[in-house]
Amino acid sequence: MKANTETKPSKPQPKAPMPAKSAPAVTSNGPGNQVVPLRKNPNGIPDYRAEVPNFHTVEEWADGKLRYTVTGDFDAPVPAIRESKYLNKDQSLEIYRYMLLNRKMEQALENLFKQQKVIGGVYLGLGQEGCSVASAYALDKFDWIAPMIRNQGAMLVRGFRPAETMMQYMAKVGAPTKGRDSGSHYGDIHEKNCIAPISHLGDSLPVIAGCLLGARIQGRNVAGLAYIGDGGQSTGPCYEGFNFAAVQKLGVVLIMEHNLWAYSTPVELQFACRDLADRALGYGVPGAIIDGTDPNQVYDVVHEACERGRRGEGATLIEAKMMRMKGHAMHDAALYVPKPYFEYWKKRDCMGRFEQYLMGRGWLTAKQNEELIRSVDEQINKDRDEADASPFPNGEDAAANLFKNNAETIPFKYGPPKVKKVSKDDKLGEASNVSHYK
Amino acid sequence: MAPVTYLEAIRQGLWEEMVRDPSVFLIGEDVGVYGGAFKITEGFIHHFGKERVIDTPISEAAIASAGLGAAFTGLRPVCEFQFMDFITSAHTQIVNAIAKSYWRWGAPAPMVLRGPSGAGVSGGPFHSQNPEMWYAHTPGLKVICPATPSDAKGLIKSAIRDNNPCLFFEHKYLYRRIKEEMPEGDVVVEIGKARTHRAGGHVSVITYASMVWVADEAAKLLAQEGIELEIIDLRTVSPLDEQAIEDTVKKTNRVIILHEDNKTGGIAGEIAAIINERAFDWLDAPITRITALDIPAPFSPPLEKFFLPKVEDVVREARRLVKY
Ligand SMILES: Cc1ncc(C[n+]2csc(CCOP(=O)(O)OP(=O)(O)O)c2C)c(N)n1
Ligand SMILES: [Mg+2]
Repeated sequence: MKANTETKPSKPQPKAPMPAKSAPAVTSNGPGNQVVPLRKNPNGIPDYRAEVPNFHTVEEWADGKLRYTVTGDFDAPVPAIRESKYLNKDQSLEIYRYMLLNRKMEQALENLFKQQKVIGGVYLGLGQEGCSVASAYALDKFDWIAPMIRNQGAMLVRGFRPAETMMQYMAKVGAPTKGRDSGSHYGDIHEKNCIAPISHLGDSLPVIAGCLLGARIQGRNVAGLAYIGDGGQSTGPCYEGFNFAAVQKLGVVLIMEHNLWAYSTPVELQFACRDLADRALGYGVPGAIIDGTDPNQVYDVVHEACERGRRGEGATLIEAKMMRMKGHAMHDAALYVPKPYFEYWKKRDCMGRFEQYLMGRGWLTAKQNEELIRSVDEQINKDRDEADASPFPNGEDAAANLFKNNAETIPFKYGPPKVKKVSKDDKLGEASNVSHYK
Repeated sequence: MAPVTYLEAIRQGLWEEMVRDPSVFLIGEDVGVYGGAFKITEGFIHHFGKERVIDTPISEAAIASAGLGAAFTGLRPVCEFQFMDFITSAHTQIVNAIAKSYWRWGAPAPMVLRGPSGAGVSGGPFHSQNPEMWYAHTPGLKVICPATPSDAKGLIKSAIRDNNPCLFFEHKYLYRRIKEEMPEGDVVVEIGKARTHRAGGHVSVITYASMVWVADEAAKLLAQEGIELEIIDLRTVSPLDEQAIEDTVKKTNRVIILHEDNKTGGIAGEIAAIINERAFDWLDAPITRITALDIPAPFSPPLEKFFLPKVEDVVREARRLVKY
């Protein structure tokens, strides 16, 4: 089978001015000035990818065992990273550095796991770093983020240090939750605006919608970036939360990380459509399909979606296609994943391709790259040692702070609510005597 | 001032808090233009605007969680469940995300989750439940079940001002059936403090919500035969006022625990254990439980009557304990 060849040749994009991160490129030329999708899917959803992979997983019983085989074109040429319309050299290099930090931090965690210094499991975002990092990079300070297990790179971008993440996994007292909760379950509402996930998939969606609602009541539209897996998007709370955001025109930017597997379940057993972005039609919001291994596509499309959100124009659903390059967690060898998938996606690894892109553009020399890698390694080693040195918490500390003291004042995040003035003299009338049950 | 119903008392509490504090807002199904299935929020949207009285899709998980998110920005949401039976559709959100938020990662959840609960109106299995114990069992939540109009008002105000998630179970049978004169001014009722509904020396009835009125009726009948009930209205099932429980046991030495929730896993079992720990030597008779049956709440009036605790149950058990 041959890959879909509707693909228009990727035209070089006009070079955008190179803005500082806080002042992204001007979009004053109107919609014509937005990133151009290379095609639309059969339902009219813009698709920004440079290629449309064409493969399919098929269930087969053989020798009394169920296994998956694949059909499709696994030799398709690897597309180049698309030019970004918005990112300048410094920003691109910063994204690259975060991606390196993300990958090397997870390698360190893998080693710590093997040394039995991790309590519980380690879930790796291998192959998905470009998506986590570049999407979070599109956020402003006042925006919110709702990460999932594979988005540790996004947490780095929001300002958590690798040492903090490692201590989370090692259940140390220095961890953001001081050992109270595990691995990726940490956040911060004061500075970084990160919602600590709970295990229950999909649950952060309505929460981030609520954060944006709260911001709006305080007179400010902000963007909220949420991630959900191809598996997690099947949950009720994911639907409820995103639908609520759509109805309320809250700037939730939902990235569905379509990485082909949910634990051992292939997407064919998770949903019946081809593109999850089609869900956007049902929610009544703009949708987009992007290549999750291309940081430029991720940044550009997420950036535009966040801008929409900040203008008060509502939510966006972005499907990022990529592949979970390891098992569900360290314990899982992913034997159920057909080998050709790994080979196909390995050639499309975000790290190597972004490095090549930066070099090809003349933004990174081999020497600078070496230097960068060395400095990231140094930081990871230093952070790992710090995490390792942190003690465990004292057992009896578990009982403290179940409730927030009522003497403390909880501040407004964005300032006093901008709500209709109500006169203290307004009188409440009596309710009419109508009710559902007498 | 004229006495007001339990329902009007809750309306007043919500209204006064919204006037007092712009961070308070309402969110739920049909709470806006229609004013809620029981008209608790009728007229609010006209005064406070749709920014503060938010009609939602039929999405209980989103109602609770959006409340949590808004609370993270420093607001004080009051989330309405059209019936507390539907709170199950937000169970994960409440017991996992909301209850554990402050303890896990220091993000407080100053919010109220409220709505009508309870039987007695032929609501059937899905409009009559008393789901308070699912939440009393969950660390990190406060669970409030008022029995009188003034408590309903004073406690909804406290719940809104509390820095922690409070579940507020209104009893729909009481909405328009009881009236009371409201105290003047801004009066709040402390969460976690029981109230002596009636003082008496012979048998304690520890109860809450609509069952306070069943005990009250029984007390009037028993008084005619010289048996004086002491009725303790818990007001909140979490936190429990253990001191008040201990004090009444030490006073009367005979205890009935009465609730509309069904027996297994109801608060009566917990209270019996507390008495065992704190006042075992003071008991002159076995602790007695009077509760709804361990079956779903039935629809047809005779079935529902059979299911619920009755005045005559309290009378019978009180007589038995006095003679014990
Ligand atoms: C509601 C719920 N059910 C089950 C689980 C257990 N679980 C954790 S991750 C996972 C697979 C998630 O797959 P996906 O959403 O595709 O994310 P990915 O791991 O591929 O990034 C499962 C089943 C859970 N965390 N929450
Ligand atoms: Mg997946």
